[in-house]
Amino acid sequence: MVDAARQPKIDVRTYTEVESVEGFVGNFKVTLREKAKHVLADRCNGCGDCARVCPIEVPNYYEMNLAPRKAVYIPMSQSVPLVYTVDLDACIHCYKCVEACGPLKAIDFSQEDKYVQEDIGAIVVATGFGHFDPSVMEEYGYGRFPNVITSMEMERLNNSAGLTAGNLIRPSDRKNPQKLAFINCVGSRDKRYNPGCSNFCCMYSIKNAVLLKQMYPNVDITIYYMDIRTPSKGYEEFYDRAREMGIHFVQGRPSLITEDEETHNLFVHSEDISLGRVIEKEYDMVMLNQAAVPQPDQNHMSSVLNVVQSPGGWFMEYHPKLRPIDSPTDGIFFAGACQGPKDIPASVAAGSAAASRASRILHSEKWEIEPIVAVVWPDRCSATTKGRACGLCVKACPYGAVVIDGDKAAEIITAKCHGCGGCVAECPEDAITQMHYTDAQILSQIRALLADKPEEKILAFRCQWCSYGGADLAGTSHFEYTANERGLRVMCSARMDSDFIYEAYRLGAGAVLYSGCHPQDCHYITGQKVGAKRADRLKKMFERMNMTDGRFRVEWISAAEGDKYARVLNEMQMTLDNMSPEELRDEIERLKPDMEKRLKRFPGVPGVSEAMDYSDTLVDAILKAKETS
Amino acid sequence: MSHPAAVRTFADEVKAIPGGEHLELCYSCGTCVSKCMIQQKVEPDYNPRRLLRMVMMDMKEEAFESPTTWMCSECDLCYQACPQEIHISQVIAAVKQLAVDAGYTSPLTPVQVDEALCSGCGICSMVCPYQAPSLFEKVVDGEIDRFAQVDSNKCMGCGTCVGACPLGAISREGVSNSEIQSQIPSPDQTIPDIITFVCDWSLREGADVELLESYPADQVNVVHIPCTGRIDPQHALMALDSGVKGVLVCGCKPGECHFKRGNHVAKCKLGLLDTMFKQIQSPHKEIRFVQIGTQERGRIRHEIDEILTAVSPAKEAK
Repeated sequence: MVDAARQPKIDVRTYTEVESVEGFVGNFKVTLREKAKHVLADRCNGCGDCARVCPIEVPNYYEMNLAPRKAVYIPMSQSVPLVYTVDLDACIHCYKCVEACGPLKAIDFSQEDKYVQEDIGAIVVATGFGHFDPSVMEEYGYGRFPNVITSMEMERLNNSAGLTAGNLIRPSDRKNPQKLAFINCVGSRDKRYNPGCSNFCCMYSIKNAVLLKQMYPNVDITIYYMDIRTPSKGYEEFYDRAREMGIHFVQGRPSLITEDEETHNLFVHSEDISLGRVIEKEYDMVMLNQAAVPQPDQNHMSSVLNVVQSPGGWFMEYHPKLRPIDSPTDGIFFAGACQGPKDIPASVAAGSAAASRASRILHSEKWEIEPIVAVVWPDRCSATTKGRACGLCVKACPYGAVVIDGDKAAEIITAKCHGCGGCVAECPEDAITQMHYTDAQILSQIRALLADKPEEKILAFRCQWCSYGGADLAGTSHFEYTANERGLRVMCSARMDSDFIYEAYRLGAGAVLYSGCHPQDCHYITGQKVGAKRADRLKKMFERMNMTDGRFRVEWISAAEGDKYARVLNEMQMTLDNMSPEELRDEIERLKPDMEKRLKRFPGVPGVSEAMDYSDTLVDAILKAKETS
Repeated sequence: MSHPAAVRTFADEVKAIPGGEHLELCYSCGTCVSKCMIQQKVEPDYNPRRLLRMVMMDMKEEAFESPTTWMCSECDLCYQACPQEIHISQVIAAVKQLAVDAGYTSPLTPVQVDEALCSGCGICSMVCPYQAPSLFEKVVDGEIDRFAQVDSNKCMGCGTCVGACPLGAISREGVSNSEIQSQIPSPDQTIPDIITFVCDWSLREGADVELLESYPADQVNVVHIPCTGRIDPQHALMALDSGVKGVLVCGCKPGECHFKRGNHVAKCKLGLLDTMFKQIQSPHKEIRFVQIGTQERGRIRHEIDEILTAVSPAKEAK
């Protein structure tokens, strides 16, 4: 930290919050709130005279509230920068600190929060993780039994710079504990609280046990665990070393802790799985290895940065395997445990990776994006034709890339567009088109696929990232499914225009599959939701039209669900097989006029060549505009 | 590619029964085993985790013969503690159902109905947490008469029906009226200050049970019952009649009853008794009902001390 602060190219802003982030990759406008410290940073020399005279004591968060701090404080002795802060919530305005500061005149109670705006090229998010509060797990008695502590409290208690100067004592009588139990997986791997594994706690409790054993060779330490997970290099060897040192490991998750009310000793009830017997052991102190959870304000950060969260609340990466450091928004990167529990080596690796990803942006003149962006035809937008923009495109965009300024036609910030096609499909005027996935191109694909015996065909709309992958997997795994399937790829289920579905049925398609990602793993943040809403609407409409159940199916299939893809298609084939050819033909003929009616906007869709011409002129215009600016 | 034909395993059979679905999520962490008190108190081979494992490993006969299948009383303490939210008692119930279907019978001793005394009132079937007693009709002396009968595979032996039967027609070895009455001292014996009726499950830890036994005979007399539901208000009255000054009934915390809701039945009965008692304003006589939670180690000592002080002025006066 000191190194970073001394580096002239690094500007460290502490006690500062990000208020808002606007703009796009390379051109972010970030508003920061520099909270008032009521101490002038350029005058304070960190002598601490103010804290010495301050009469107010409040719990010190940095010491896990086990020790006090003054109302004017630095959180820890290694604070960077070494500038005191007045905690106005605790301060009683006695001004003794001002007196003590004397001629330095560093303390200024009139200081107020300052808002500053900065031009930022790339953002690295490294907000870390929070701690699960074990007091909600009544069975462990945290908060009721003084000698049940959390791992973070243990960290402060055996730290040589901590409140006890490294002398491990137990809270009830301040004696050195002789028998200690560590309990792993408190609040993690637990469907009631956090279903995920917290990744580093196994190693962490072994580390604490080894440290304590080195310091106090006679202490007796037992680690209760469900599974010990030591997958990385050298970890298993460390586990071996711990066992050699005489640390006991008991496989079995304790179900209950009780306390002797006189001695405040604790009784841990668990099954020893190797024995198959319930054991009840007495300990002086119990440490709970609480789960790592997202920061309490992770939701707020997520909306400020416009990045999505995975189930569980962690920030979600662009792709879990191929782009693990990037956020779905270009120019924002994740480092460390804000994205999911990570241990130190993994966090350092992620930090370095994020820095290098960010520097790529800072060092490039141009930023290449996917060519499949959406473009608006301003003369078709309802703002031009009807004088009022409908705004459906703005609602559909997961990235905030579509902007409507007053009564002007919608505009797309190309650098922000990721090409899901949600706005394209939503636009009721067909005023937006997606490069390389134009309506005309997709419609001609539909026509080609249904050219011959359409009533036998099952037209499957697949999204590029999930259900297309699922279909691929079904193929490579040799899962048999109907040969009547005709697949059509679009970038996202959000792009699956209702026009396409009507056209397919107008042409006499036997069945249509509308497939995409599961809601939580959409590649385009909320693209699936846009698609799902539309699919719901279609489904209800077809139900009203009395379409045979199963001729229109909506399925969310991940890239790992090849079996599901094959199964769904086989089921659809069965639906068709269960209808007699006459029945099917009658139904198709019956619905045709309806479909045609719904497609009445369709003749207005420009042809392929026209769309291509338009995109060429648009690209030219953009390039020219760039040159002139 | 053709897949091999599906084989219906034992686990599939269990999962097909409602409640058994999540069986295979089990981590084998052992929380259920240590939360449950049956292994420590009654049967060392009782182990729900191992029963789930047996089901997963297709060990049908072993599972049907396992004491776990038959002794689980569905208190659901383990369900509240299970990190995978498996409704373990329901999985066990599913195994039990399959075992009964396969012709296995419960090794537990059920309560017996004495038809000579039974009036067919049906109170037993109302209070039983397991729906073990039911009424059936039989022709006696040319007239249709109703009697209670007990499903021996469902009866867990809590004795709630024994305590509720107004005619004393139900009994079982270990919980019969005469056995409990014989533990209450008669006037010619040493009269203790208080009598404590303790349910077998409310005192989780050995230390508390030992503490209870350590009181001198002229101070505290302990009567063990399987569940507070077994309590018959008559027993409390008999005890007070014999000269005892206080009656302490010790059961499980609401929601933690080993027999689902025996403690609730007891609370209703003793509540009524207490109200009656207050009305007749009997001096220096106490009836108390305490409900001790799994984590309340050592609470019984305070409760006994309290009731002893409450009745002690009576002693001094004497």
